[in-house]
Amino acid sequence: MMWLSSGFLFRSGKSFYHRIDPRVKLLCSILMFVCAIIARFVYEIAIVVAFVLGVAAAAKALRRVGRTVAFTSLFSVLIFGLNFFVTRDLESSVLYAARFVGIVVSTSLFFVTTSPDELEQVMKTFRLPRDIVFAFVTAVRFVPVLMLDAMQIMDAQKSRGLEMQKGNVLRRIRSMVPVLVPLVVTSVVRSGELAEAMESRAYGAVPRPTSLVQYRARAADKVVAVAALLLFALTAYSFYVVLPPLGL
Amino acid sequence: MIEFEGVSFVHPTGVKALDGVTLKVGGGETVAVVGENGAGKTTLVKHVTGLLKPSKGRVLVDGVATTATTTAELSRKVGVAFQNPDHQLFSESVEAEMAFALRNFGFSEELVERRVAWGLELFGLTEYRASSPLVLSGGEKKRLTLACILAWDPQVVILDEPTVGQDALQKERLAETIRMLTSTGKTILVVSHDIEFLWPIQPRVVVMKSGKVVGDGRAAEVMAQKGLLESARVAQPQLVSFHGALRSRPTSPFVDPAEARRWIAGERR
Ligand SMILES: Nc1ncnc2c1ncn2[C@@H]1O[C@H](COP(=O)(O)OP(=O)(O)O)[C@@H](O)[C@H]1O
Ligand SMILES: [Mg+2]
Repeated sequence: MMWLSSGFLFRSGKSFYHRIDPRVKLLCSILMFVCAIIARFVYEIAIVVAFVLGVAAAAKALRRVGRTVAFTSLFSVLIFGLNFFVTRDLESSVLYAARFVGIVVSTSLFFVTTSPDELEQVMKTFRLPRDIVFAFVTAVRFVPVLMLDAMQIMDAQKSRGLEMQKGNVLRRIRSMVPVLVPLVVTSVVRSGELAEAMESRAYGAVPRPTSLVQYRARAADKVVAVAALLLFALTAYSFYVVLPPLGL
Repeated sequence: MIEFEGVSFVHPTGVKALDGVTLKVGGGETVAVVGENGAGKTTLVKHVTGLLKPSKGRVLVDGVATTATTTAELSRKVGVAFQNPDHQLFSESVEAEMAFALRNFGFSEELVERRVAWGLELFGLTEYRASSPLVLSGGEKKRLTLACILAWDPQVVILDEPTVGQDALQKERLAETIRMLTSTGKTILVVSHDIEFLWPIQPRVVVMKSGKVVGDGRAAEVMAQKGLLESARVAQPQLVSFHGALRSRPTSPFVDPAEARRWIAGERR
């Protein structure tokens, strides 16, 4: 579980891609996302995915992003199956499944290379209400904590004779109760305590608190942004005009 | 009963939490594991119940390698009470919480009833029998987790930081319970920073530092080695320091304040 869901978790790094302004990274990911949507053929999506994985490799985040593919392959199969069941059209079913992979991979690239702090800055530039920004960023930041909790709870319950690997589906689902209850309870208690601790540290005392880090796009960031837009235009052009319509 | 043979363990993050640990704990022994935060004590404990499997070396419990069995099976023999009680309480009532493991092990309802009543009594929780375990205070929750473990009468009892959040009286009771368990032949592993709590129990003391066992011996022997304790950032028991500061003194340090008081009274005369 931990292994699979870590595909969306930030991992600090010093690569060129990590250091790009988070707003530019968001732009890049959105453009790749859009590419995956507008692609009309599976091989075009394959090109997009390969490109995203290439960027991920350059950012030394290939393994994390790769995990996302593994994680979502299950859903992809489901999407393919449902589509094929309904439309009986092999090509469009594969296309939808592949498109899903493309969307997930480009999103994952953004989250894996953007720290919660950067995320906060990005959201602030969109002038979202501070409470919403805070809630979202805190939720993201606490995902690893939650996973650690889940592991420790499972350890504790296994030590009390809870079998999690054996039995039929119903039994396994039932065996999640002793894990989920403490997980939810500790999370709720923690969020209450966090709120109290933050208010006693003056959260919300002034409407617009100052910020330690001020993001200012450097020249390199602007270059990347322009390059990304150009590449996007080129890709869109190739998809619709240059590349041949190759079906399955 | 428990054997570590050159056990090393590396966490997925790359932290080497155990580094060539060799340790043998015989049946009926009472062992305290001490050492600074992050020394690897909890990691050691998790190897005994097979929650973690060694990256190198072997762990044997009752002659069986932990790699050859599951935690659920091992826990019939080894009961671990982990540090954080919030990580295991989930039932509707204190009673049901205690019965959870017993039912997992397939005890008869009559036996469950009897063991639960015994455990509640032992830890002074009888009045909370029907309350939700989630509304108990921190110290009571901790005691409940201990009661949950002792209820199924495992041969080996492991307590990870059992004194956290307990007041003086409860600590004394806990020490009493440990002595009682020792006298019934249980093998006990207590992980604790609380040197003053451990000292009167007079356990065998294992000192850990950066994943290694750096000291091992009777409490009086280990606690006398100031250099070793300092390097592992473990405080010396006050009675041992006091004993060391005396000009004329008995051969071994006082085990409890009453003993010191008696000796001082004798010296005055
Ligand atoms: N789940 C985990 N993942 C990664 N590292 C861990 C994990 N649990 C413990 N560690 C690391 O292993 C080392 C030993 O931890 P632990 O056994 O909990 O120490 P102690 O109980 O003596 O305080 C520490 O450096 C800790 O950061
Ligand atoms: Mg610990």
